Amino acid sequence: MLSVPDALSVLLRALSLVLVLQAAGAALCLALFGRELADSLATARRLGSIAAASGAVCVVAHLALQAGRMAGDLSGMLDGSLLRLALTSTAGSASALSVLGLALIACALTARRTGVAVIGTALVTASFTLTGHTSVSPHRWILCLLLPAHLLIVAFWFGALPVLYLASLKESPARAARIVDRFSSVATWLVPGILLAGLALAALLVANLGVLRQPYGELLLAKLGGFALLMGLASLNKWRLAPAMARADPGALIAFRRSVAAELALIVAVLAVTAVMTTLFSPD
Amino acid sequence: MRPLAILPALALLVAMTVAEAHAHLRSAVPADGSSVATPPSRVVLRFSEAARLTAAWIARNAAPREPLRPLPDRAARELALSLPTLAPGRYVVSWRALSADGHIMPGEVRFTVLARGMIGHAPEHATGDATGHAPGPSSP
Ligand code: HEM
Repeated sequence: MLSVPDALSVLLRALSLVLVLQAAGAALCLALFGRELADSLATARRLGSIAAASGAVCVVAHLALQAGRMAGDLSGMLDGSLLRLALTSTAGSASALSVLGLALIACALTARRTGVAVIGTALVTASFTLTGHTSVSPHRWILCLLLPAHLLIVAFWFGALPVLYLASLKESPARAARIVDRFSSVATWLVPGILLAGLALAALLVANLGVLRQPYGELLLAKLGGFALLMGLASLNKWRLAPAMARADPGALIAFRRSVAAELALIVAVLAVTAVMTTLFSPD
Repeated sequence: MRPLAILPALALLVAMTVAEAHAHLRSAVPADGSSVATPPSRVVLRFSEAARLTAAWIARNAAPREPLRPLPDRAARELALSLPTLAPGRYVVSWRALSADGHIMPGEVRFTVLARGMIGHAPEHATGDATGHAPGPSSP
């Protein structure tokens, strides 16, 4: 039965995935397209550092909750020996590296050093390989490349969406259209990599096809479904809404913002599914 | 891009290799679902990978669970938990264990300690050393 710490842990994991990948993605996106932004640049930087700082708080709280999960109730969070066990576990090392990366992103974005913030992104994505299913697999070394690749592209896409939304609000229509076009031309090549890396991860982690009928497999298929819907929205953006924005069609900006908001919501849903899948279930 | 996506899908079908990520319970003594004539003084848990117990409880019939202490202080594949003196009844020993991948897994084994008068009724379950999920009596 799901205990209170288990349920809270899934919620907090989902929230930290959202904030951590927003921060990591904001740093990447600002490094790539920061020069194109004018009136929205300061807000985009601020949002990135807020996501990094609050993400770090969530990562620490999630680690403390591990002690609660170990005890089976929240009182474990006050038990020194369980807290020590959580800190010295692989989840402890991963959280430490993640917090270091997030601190770098928060400080670097505030100090307008986007290059340094990207180092933070690298640390944050690398931290995922220190714990979890990929960390103990016999295919560890391939997984250690695949998982960060999966996450870097997810972060790039997810982190770009608020920047695009802001650009459509604050920049001149011509500039906003140019930024969307630049993002689209990079995303078209990168985003299929999420699927490629995700399928390769699944192939190496999943013990047998029977797992697809167990909760881990069903959640994996839900991720695939979410990804397919996202590809639909992304194509709508690229082929219909972005050209309409470039032509300055009436209503194009509002339709674009709606579609970006829907993409954001869908990615949040896929992250929640991922949090359930990796916290409560196993691929073997 | 589309044709490329087929490659990992093929890999999924072809390159299935077993990765023992989580420490799963392989067997227990007394076995899950077994009935024992002599009250056991301990429960032995065998996991697929080294695991560290972080909490354990025992519950008899419908009574609330009581913590089991002391817990083994290190990770191992085989872990033993001392039990208090057990009266006849249905027991659930449950636990939380930390595995090498940082995951925390709940688990439990259920067994029955037979009353003297019942021993003759369930001799086939009385060894308590079967592995896996031996079928247990539906009620003691
Ligand atoms: C936009 C879509 C996606 C997002 C946002 C996403 C996000 C993530 C995240 C955050 C993780 C790291 C989880 C962790 O270690 O805690 C992850 C892992 C993973 N993803 Fe995705 N993913 C997406 C699409 C996919 C797709 C399409 C697949 C393929 C079926 C996939 C398969 C996997 C697998 C197998 C793992 C490893 C899980 C484990 O360690 O047990 N993902 N994904």
